[in-house]
Amino acid sequence: MSTLTKILIVLLTISSIFLCGIVVTYVANADDYRQKYTSLRAERDSLKETTADTIEKHKQKVAEKDVLEAKLSGEISKLNIEISTLRGKLKDVEAQSNIWEKRVSDMASVVETSSQTAGEQVQLLKNTLAELNKLKAEQIKLIAQFNDTSATLLEKFAIIQTLETEKKQLIEEKVELQSRLNKTLQPAGKFTTPVVTLTPRKDIARPAPVFTQKIGLNGLITDVDLKNKMASISIGAADGVKEGMKFHVTRGDKFICDILIIDTDAEEAVGALELLDLAREQPRAGDTVTTNL
Amino acid sequence: MSPNMRIRGGKVIAIDNLYTVILGLAFCVVLATAAFVAFKCYIQYETIFNIP
Repeated sequence: MSTLTKILIVLLTISSIFLCGIVVTYVANADDYRQKYTSLRAERDSLKETTADTIEKHKQKVAEKDVLEAKLSGEISKLNIEISTLRGKLKDVEAQSNIWEKRVSDMASVVETSSQTAGEQVQLLKNTLAELNKLKAEQIKLIAQFNDTSATLLEKFAIIQTLETEKKQLIEEKVELQSRLNKTLQPAGKFTTPVVTLTPRKDIARPAPVFTQKIGLNGLITDVDLKNKMASISIGAADGVKEGMKFHVTRGDKFICDILIIDTDAEEAVGALELLDLAREQPRAGDTVTTNL
Repeated sequence: MSPNMRIRGGKVIAIDNLYTVILGLAFCVVLATAAFVAFKCYIQYETIFNIP
């Protein structure tokens, strides 16, 4: 055997061992593609089934969504109608609220004005009471003066009666003396002339002229009690109404009756109906009352 | 000294059978490798020559 053949045999053996080692190493470390294929196929099948189930569920969910959407659309439309209705009601309520707020503000101003008027009436009442007290004191003084004057007048009357008696006696004496003098002078053809007194004769006392003024109060009847023949009117002591005043009740041009005031309040007065004829028209609330026709 | 050893020019040289053994060893290695590859192919693909 030649040397070259031997070298080739050795090289062939070494290369064979080397290449076989490489092949064995590669084959031993190679991936099991069949197993991978199988596992991937199983995984794909399961994924297909999962996808089919998911699609089915998706379809069901879509159907449920459509049903729910239709239901919710109906509810939304109902709610929209309710919202529009409630908005209309809200507008009405707001309008009413504004009206009531305006009324409340008006009432507040009215109450404030009434309170102010009541305060003024109270002050006026106090002033009137003070004037009344003054008038009562003056009345007491006047009554005392009246009593003194009455006593003095009685004395004067007594004196006058005495003087009149003396005057009659003097006149009788004068007549007697004049008759005697005439009898004495008749023979001489004379008679006595009436005596002219030097003291001026006083005039007879005459009543002084009385000047009157119309009261001029006007109002309305607020309430009538025909059973007790009482009525109340819309003006009171604040307007100048006093107890004892007489008001004439008229309706248009018709005279109904009279009201004699028996009690007064600040803004109203109560009186008794007079000249009430049951055959004619009866007084009622709203009729005009006046002090002067 | 083995009777198969030959001396040429004062050097000891291997007999030819040794190269035959080496060549047989290489053949065995190649054969074992082919068998291993075939076994792996059969195990993984259940066939040796066909493509699944």
